[in-house]
Amino acid sequence: MKQNILSILLITITVLLTACAPVEDDIFTTARITITADGDETITSVQAQMKLTNVNTRQVVTCADFNGTSATVELLRGAYQIDIEGVATCLSPGNATRMRQFRCQSDYVEFIGRDINEVTLKTIFLD
Amino acid sequence: MASNADSALVEHTSLGRLPILEAMRNPALHGMGYQPPFSQLELGINLQHQSQAFVPEKGNGYTLPHLKVSTFHPLNGRSTVWGEASYMTGKVHDIKWNSTSDYHLLQPYILADTLGGDTRRERYSVSGGYATSANRWLLGAEMLVRAEQEYRSRDPRMRGIVTDLTLRQGCGYELKRYRLGAAVEGNIYKQTNSVAFYHEEGVIPEYQMTGLGTEYSRFSGDKRSLYYDGGGVAAMLHASPINHNGPYADITLDEHRYHRKLAEYNSMPLTDLYNEHIGATAGWKKEKNARLAVFGHIDYTKRTGNEHIGGTSDARYFPVIACLTMYKSHLLDIYAGALYGRGNWHINITAGYREVCEEYVYPHRQMDASHVYGMLQGQCFIRPADQWLLTVDAYASHYANTGDKLQMPLANMDAAFTRLIQHKHQFAAANYTDFGAKLRADYALKQTRYGLFAAVGGGMTHCSVREHQTALHCSIGITF
Repeated sequence: MKQNILSILLITITVLLTACAPVEDDIFTTARITITADGDETITSVQAQMKLTNVNTRQVVTCADFNGTSATVELLRGAYQIDIEGVATCLSPGNATRMRQFRCQSDYVEFIGRDINEVTLKTIFLD
Repeated sequence: MASNADSALVEHTSLGRLPILEAMRNPALHGMGYQPPFSQLELGINLQHQSQAFVPEKGNGYTLPHLKVSTFHPLNGRSTVWGEASYMTGKVHDIKWNSTSDYHLLQPYILADTLGGDTRRERYSVSGGYATSANRWLLGAEMLVRAEQEYRSRDPRMRGIVTDLTLRQGCGYELKRYRLGAAVEGNIYKQTNSVAFYHEEGVIPEYQMTGLGTEYSRFSGDKRSLYYDGGGVAAMLHASPINHNGPYADITLDEHRYHRKLAEYNSMPLTDLYNEHIGATAGWKKEKNARLAVFGHIDYTKRTGNEHIGGTSDARYFPVIACLTMYKSHLLDIYAGALYGRGNWHINITAGYREVCEEYVYPHRQMDASHVYGMLQGQCFIRPADQWLLTVDAYASHYANTGDKLQMPLANMDAAFTRLIQHKHQFAAANYTDFGAKLRADYALKQTRYGLFAAVGGGMTHCSVREHQTALHCSIGITF
């Protein structure tokens, strides 16, 4: 009986000393969103407003800082809905350049990885 | 002439036992902690009213009658049994921003709405223990069971059904002039929690709160059925001189965790709350003609909250794609005190520092408050006639703010949440002055072991934001 109690005590103290709360402080990640076009045209640069809505918290992150066809955003790890609207510079197979209005949309994208999360979205041209 | 019940009452309720109260959680030491048998049947009522709720989630007062029977009975020179059974029912007034029972355990991970209202509470609790000794060893075990339901009979119709089971096992050993104690505790906790609306036009959102005015938006609104699954372990160590003269020490470690799950989405885990606590006391006591003790105590509680990130749904099943630590808080309470008593009276003076810090990691929110405090307690047993015993208790305390901080993204917050946080901060940072007294009269029936008693007590708390709290306790019963 005494030995049982001492064993239970030792086990409990060991459990207590090792049972710290699992902490996940690595809460942010980097998302790189790249825009591409369907068909023959190639997008060389974009000027657009991007809105990322966290599916779980409804927090919104906006970004208009596109470098070529990509934008990089620091945000909370999670699942996002993405809406992009803007103007793209498109290069046709004949090397003709023209500006086209476009939008991109995705209802669900996971940005969970701790490093860079890459996602490519297709444009929907509005003109 | 004092009856056995009277001397037992003095022994069980004396302020002079303050230095050993923590050790009494160890059932092995509890069994040896008192000498005469003592049983009591009590019918009482506790009332409290706040001019404005200090903590909206707890309501602004309550009316809670109770019936309780307790006994402590040494069987022979070596073994002791004790037990308690109680029933409490009544009303908690004007709860807001909380549709979950046991707020003190589960906060901030509760279900909440802006409307609230009165709730009815009903609690059944039973506990019992046994302790024995063999040579220098003391052994004991204790079980505590609580079943409780809280509900509201008008919209929003919250209901929380709680079962809470605690098992303790302890031992003690007499080593030279010291009694050493060790105990372990296991706890299982469950609560089913839901909110219903009978009037369709009056439906309001129920928020899955995640701390400091934040909510889990995706599963808020019409997701009103969830449950909590939790429990924990604790370990206690104690050393005290057998003859009550010399240094003594206690340390308690405990860890409890509570998981909140959505009942209507295949038990999807929403949040996990981890509550880690360490409490330690070191002191020195001396008992001869007078009783003297000086002691220092520290309590540190760390609460960590993890949020589960739900992925895309598949036939009402949400996979968890990540888990992030978003809520952190700590409570530090450190004090030094002195107890002095002689014969029938005792006085206890305490001075301390208390700090509560809460943080929500992103978007960053922080609410801190710290206080220094002083407390004075006194107790006196008066015997006006042979069959009468009066017990007078009185206390006064003052908490003075030494600093506070509130950092919130107010521009992005909903007005109702902003009001809640400002209210909570105002009361968390306020100064408090608290005083009260209790009088108990015991009458021992001639030539029997039975006695009658009546007790009345009251207290008042003044808050620096020009609000106050009044409390009243009345009870009658028999001792045997």
